[in-house]
Amino acid sequence: MDLELSPADREFRDGLREVFLGKIPEDVRRRSTLGRTTREDIVTSQRVLNQHGLAVPHWPREWGGRGWTPTQSHLYSAELQRAGIPQPLAFNVSMVGPIIAEFGSAEQKRKFLPATANLDIWWSQGFSEPEAGSDLAGLRTTARRDGDHYVLNGQKTWTTLGQYGDWMFVLARTDPDAPRKQQGLSFLLLDLNTPGVERRPIRLIDGSAEVNEFFFDDVRLPVENLVGEENKGWSYAKFLLGNERNGIAQIGASQRIYADLAAAATRRPTEDGPLAGDPQFRAALHRVKTTLLALEATQLRVTAASENGKASPVSSLLKLEGTQALQELSLLRMRAAGSDGMLLDTEAPLPSGEAAAVSAAQYLNLRKLSIFGGSNEIQRGVIAKTILGL
Amino acid sequence: MNLEFTDDQRLLFETVDQAVGRGYPAGGRAAATGSELGWSDQVWQTLGELGLTGLTVSADHDGAGAGPVEVYTSLAAMGKHAAAEPLLDGVYLPSWLIAELGTAEQAGQLLPQLAAGSTTIAVAHAEPGRPWGLAPATTAAADGSLTGVKSPVRNADQADRFLVTAVDETGRTGVYLVEATAGGITRADGRAADWGHTSQVEFAGTPAARLGDGAADAALRMAFSRARVAITAEAIGLMEAGLAMTVEYLKTRKQFGVPLATFQALVHRAVDVYSRVELARSMALWATAVIEAHDNGGAVDLPGTADDAFVFVADVATAVAEEIVQLHGGIGMTYESDVAHHAARLIAITESFGGVSSARRRAIASEALLVAPSALLGNATSAAP
Repeated sequence: MDLELSPADREFRDGLREVFLGKIPEDVRRRSTLGRTTREDIVTSQRVLNQHGLAVPHWPREWGGRGWTPTQSHLYSAELQRAGIPQPLAFNVSMVGPIIAEFGSAEQKRKFLPATANLDIWWSQGFSEPEAGSDLAGLRTTARRDGDHYVLNGQKTWTTLGQYGDWMFVLARTDPDAPRKQQGLSFLLLDLNTPGVERRPIRLIDGSAEVNEFFFDDVRLPVENLVGEENKGWSYAKFLLGNERNGIAQIGASQRIYADLAAAATRRPTEDGPLAGDPQFRAALHRVKTTLLALEATQLRVTAASENGKASPVSSLLKLEGTQALQELSLLRMRAAGSDGMLLDTEAPLPSGEAAAVSAAQYLNLRKLSIFGGSNEIQRGVIAKTILGL
Repeated sequence: MNLEFTDDQRLLFETVDQAVGRGYPAGGRAAATGSELGWSDQVWQTLGELGLTGLTVSADHDGAGAGPVEVYTSLAAMGKHAAAEPLLDGVYLPSWLIAELGTAEQAGQLLPQLAAGSTTIAVAHAEPGRPWGLAPATTAAADGSLTGVKSPVRNADQADRFLVTAVDETGRTGVYLVEATAGGITRADGRAADWGHTSQVEFAGTPAARLGDGAADAALRMAFSRARVAITAEAIGLMEAGLAMTVEYLKTRKQFGVPLATFQALVHRAVDVYSRVELARSMALWATAVIEAHDNGGAVDLPGTADDAFVFVADVATAVAEEIVQLHGGIGMTYESDVAHHAARLIAITESFGGVSSARRRAIASEALLVAPSALLGNATSAAP
């Protein structure tokens, strides 16, 4: 066993840190760590990453991929999160990009992939519907073939950052008579400026509006925007959902929040001195500390296994436990901020700092972690079936 | 960077697993701990033949000179069967103390015997009512004779010798070697919560020989830290087996005409057991790798790592022990069921070597607590923007 990076991997990591910490503007990273990332921040950082060949490292090489080892991929995700950089837009780099690269036509690849990598096109995900969350087989949005167009009718919801979307990849029912509900779905690319598209923001528990709903009323999209084969959308969606395994435990993000929290606790007064000296706080912090160590060690085991060509079934576990750890940290951060953290939206200067002021909002916002990406109950179901055989 | 076993280490696990498994059929721990010996003599002989007793002893003293990963694999395999043989407390722990503190003569006499499995030595540090981390109340007189009470002392009824911690007239803590047949020893034998044999041992002017002549605090801290990590491996073996039994039970046991596995509430609880065990395994392996790095000269905080790992695994062990009993229903409450013995042993582990509360207290007091953790060595620096 060996807990040190090889010299080559250390050099690789240091190279990443140079770009992440040296080239991404400091204020972009600061807003990101405060949960106040703007659209421009995401565009800025992704374009800087793209300039350095770091925006779409997991794509096929001819479209900007890097052919990294599992260890390098792990370091990329972890360091990106530790540096507090806005995640490259998942809809672009982890979802629609790989699908088009794998299943798209030559024309689609040429038209979309470079623009997707550089975030010249902002993609939105059009999967969830009011009656179909984790269970996509219940999708109702229909795409009826009409000459050289599909006519789209229905509703999509929970579209994260859909307010900025230029295009949407839509899973829609093209064969309502298919014998199984998973069949008869197609993967379509929709320009969101097409007539008949209406978007509405959904206000969330923390007051933000980062998700949206979309309504389609006889929206016409050309058949050349069908990806792959008609009625095969389900298998492409499954490919996509199985695609994003790196960084799923969000260890780098947790490590960063941990460091911020520990630093804030040394400044935060209590009746008996700084919070950092409070036994209850320290006990809670230690529990998170050991969980993060265990999670990272688990990630290292998964990485080492895939380095040796073995697939690991524990990605559901990393999602389950990683999101719980992050949520626990957000609770601790809110508790540490105390009443200062209750200020949801304030311009008032606080001695405890900006991070304290948004801690309650972030606590509330991060409840989403155990719901999206396949809720944690769904992950438990997957573990029960695939690992325990229950 | 790699947390996987080599082929040899995997083979070692399989060998021990098979050998111990043969000696521990259903009801094995109940039978072994119920015997006069407190474990299975047949399994002990096999462990000796396989070289397991010599694992932590250097080749100079007829041992295998193996590293912490081999200790992990052997104890994980023992744990899988809830085996009661005193590999850790009777051989590995004393071997670390003797190698670190003993004179060449003491090491030359004792280590080959330990390696051969022909003797066991009970380490007597805990004292009734006295916190683990304080200097012992047991005293060593100028002539080396000991006076004081030690409890609990694991497998003291079978040990040929004791290693006893005591404070000498100058206030230094030392480790003293005592023959079990020496005068002035009174032993009250009993059973631990896991039915392992344990005793209260009283020394009254008992003749003893000090291990070496330096202060023993650092050596004790390191040896107990190694022991804390080693016993997490046993806990992993116990938890894995306990989970496997529980999953099997959920699949086969019927209630209301259907298998228990059709009830989602139960399945999700089993999944939580699985996911905690998987994290605990990572933690135990990580701590083992840190010890290996330490032994290869790396600058690591071995006691701090051991505390972190022990606390995490002990918390998981407690939760798993409770859940595997609960998910077995009434059956899990019976002495006849293996799952009850696995659970009881897990609980006993949480109180080993000072117990989880004292390890947690040290971990919480540590300055390292306020530094963002990383399992990768040397990765914490320049992490934050």
